Amino acid sequence: MTSPATTTGPVVRVRGVTKSFGGAAALKGVDLDLYPGEIHALMGMNGAGKSTLVQVLCGVHQPDGGTIEVDGHRHTGLNVRRARGLGVSSVPQRRELAMGLTVAENIMLGDLPTRRFGAVDWKAVRARAGAALSGLGIDIDVQRVAGSLTVAEQTMVEVAREVRRGGRVLILDEPTACLSARDAGQVRALVRRLRDEGVAVVYISHYIDEVMSVADRVTVLRDGGLVRSAPAAETDPAALVRDMVGRDVVSRRPERPAPRDEPGLAVRGLSHGHAVRDFTVEVRKGEIVAVLGPAGDAQSRLFDLLSGRVRPDAGEVLVDGRPVPPGRVGAALAGGLRCVTGDRRSLGLVQSMTVDENLMLAGDRFARRRLHRSADLARRAAPVRDAYGVVALSGNPPVGSLSGGNQQKVLLGKWLETEPVACFLEDPTNGVDVAAMADIHTLVDDLAARGVAVLLASSSAEEVMRLADRVVVVSAGRTVGEHDITAITRDELVATALGGQPQ
Amino acid sequence: MSLKTPSAAPDVASGGPSERRAPSRSTARGLLHVPHGGLVVVLILVCVFTALQADAFTSSQNLLNVLRQVSVNAVIAAGLTLLMTAGGMDFSMGSNAAVTLCVGAQLIDGGWSTPAVVVVCLALATLIGLVNGLVVTYTRVAPFVATLASAMLLDGVALLVLDGMSVTIGDKMSSLGNDEVVGVPYLTVVAVLVLALTGVTMRFTTFGRDAFAMGGNEHVARLSGINVNARKLALYALAGVLAGLAGLMLLSRLGAAAPNTAGLQTQLTAVAAVVIGGTSLAGGHGTVVGTVFGVVLLGVVANALNLLQVNSNYQLVVTGGVLLVAAIINEVQRKSSPGH
Repeated sequence: MTSPATTTGPVVRVRGVTKSFGGAAALKGVDLDLYPGEIHALMGMNGAGKSTLVQVLCGVHQPDGGTIEVDGHRHTGLNVRRARGLGVSSVPQRRELAMGLTVAENIMLGDLPTRRFGAVDWKAVRARAGAALSGLGIDIDVQRVAGSLTVAEQTMVEVAREVRRGGRVLILDEPTACLSARDAGQVRALVRRLRDEGVAVVYISHYIDEVMSVADRVTVLRDGGLVRSAPAAETDPAALVRDMVGRDVVSRRPERPAPRDEPGLAVRGLSHGHAVRDFTVEVRKGEIVAVLGPAGDAQSRLFDLLSGRVRPDAGEVLVDGRPVPPGRVGAALAGGLRCVTGDRRSLGLVQSMTVDENLMLAGDRFARRRLHRSADLARRAAPVRDAYGVVALSGNPPVGSLSGGNQQKVLLGKWLETEPVACFLEDPTNGVDVAAMADIHTLVDDLAARGVAVLLASSSAEEVMRLADRVVVVSAGRTVGEHDITAITRDELVATALGGQPQ
Repeated sequence: MSLKTPSAAPDVASGGPSERRAPSRSTARGLLHVPHGGLVVVLILVCVFTALQADAFTSSQNLLNVLRQVSVNAVIAAGLTLLMTAGGMDFSMGSNAAVTLCVGAQLIDGGWSTPAVVVVCLALATLIGLVNGLVVTYTRVAPFVATLASAMLLDGVALLVLDGMSVTIGDKMSSLGNDEVVGVPYLTVVAVLVLALTGVTMRFTTFGRDAFAMGGNEHVARLSGINVNARKLALYALAGVLAGLAGLMLLSRLGAAAPNTAGLQTQLTAVAAVVIGGTSLAGGHGTVVGTVFGVVLLGVVANALNLLQVNSNYQLVVTGGVLLVAAIINEVQRKSSPGH
């Protein structure tokens, strides 16, 4: 580790930046100093203003007040192009590569070397793109098509592209979200390398352990205001959570009633291609069983197979002792099985529809309602909103305008209020802040206490330790172990599963 | 992040900052927040301009004529609005109408009774729509391609049915096409009924909301327990039956079936009207009110060009221009509305 370059001045100095959208203040006088050769973690809950601050830095939004200095020069009226010209750029959470082009083309996009008559010099494209990658110690074949890359590789290609374009201030928005431990480790190694090369890195992440291990300096935002900006060595995880949430967050295992001695959900010999081989699990009513494995392993296929989107090659599913015909969504729902996806954007919620309508989307169809009245809908949705703590800034906006945590609560509310017998939850706290995570864990506890059989697929060992009664560990499509949660430690879990988000 | 347009929603808490600021905005910007405001402005401008330039525009005879012309398009556009909101598309409705029109004319010419002809024609049109639906649902060919193919196919069938002749039906069905009830043409009554029913369906029934959910995200709709395949078949069949109705309305108005009546050109006008009305080509958004404005705007423009005796070569140019302007205004308005 190199020490932060305190002798030189900050490359970016933000003072008193304010920004509001339609009357709601998103940033209230935020200061931020970014030094070259320093990893600066930006933390805060969903809606704290992290993204707005980043968008102001990159020139997506103009600040209402305050100043932004780059290299000591004050800049007003920044736009994306000018910010990039000054070396400030970001790698957004949703990767933005042209998926049909090769890695080399993506890196050189907008700056393709040409020969006479404007013909693209493909040899030079490959050579320069390869140099950009190897300069950062990234080992990816430049001839591969971007769409075939893993998410981690896409992140690395985007980083290489920004650095090649002269990025000196690089903003990474949750670069390790939804990555396996190994891939996340690769991304973190790249981030450290960038720091050593003298890049000022802004690192946004919800994972506190990760931030503590990688960041040199931590800035915490809450409700659009600056709470703390200090070297990472001077803070500890508990203080960080308190700064973000504004109070202590308690998320401890509560005493749940003992599971009933009747099976709620039984999966026997489920197989699908090479991804899932002979998966068997039995969940009693009131019990939470976790399936833990490396990201992308068998547990990530369970949603498709259990929900009926995809027909398994073999195996049977029994809900409440009754077999559920495979490969049919309607049959799974009619049997009382509720599958909650971890991909709320493409499989969970209709982004353009309102909060209330999304909340009641499944419930109203089960109730075979014929008529739809928005006042009536709002009346029925109100208790669900309250129970799941869904907070919308105004009335009943399209669900896509809510923060990730709130969308996740809408998704859970949509499914868990439809009288489930058995539930399959996939990464229920994906991309959710600390406070919302604690809320969601409590909701899952309540669900089990109501006597629902809960099967949980997660790539986070912490979540499994917090929620599950038993854990089934999968690897390469096969079950490799089954443990009572009391009989195993977190580190043992991580070691068997190679999952989670360890340092 | 979530804060992009939080308080732009219409149901913002009273006394909220955006509400207080609203009156100080210029009218032009204020209009952006009225649904279809831009479209209404264009429509009013076209009407005022035409009325000033041609006295005949405001005569009751001309207005009735516009209403009759617009009614047929409105019925097609109503079905299309619902279908496009659900993420579907049907380019063959106009050609379906052409086939219905030709078959109907031949049957009446062959001595069939009018009620029997109506039933047979509507059944045929529904069947055509259902076949479209089956192809789109089960072969997964893009609706755009599948229905464009069936449009060409049906245009050809219509020509075959007529065999190059014009078939007149005398005064059978002419009361539907030409008579009025309390000053309103029957055709318009039918169109208004169809539009109102479609609007109510989209807004107040689960069937209509299913369409929005399917158009917004088909996977989510399916996982939420909506029988997406059955809904699609129903929607395409509905588009078919409305196309058949439009064909019969056209037949009653013209009193004859001639080659190249209705067809793909009619359908393109209907698609234009629906898109001008703000219905999303990708699905998930759509209103019947917008479609009504779109249909009326295109009808009025066509009528104005006739009245002003614009050279027919320029008529297409002007119509295209109006379409483009309306679409641009729509897009500007959509961007400033909540949820975007």
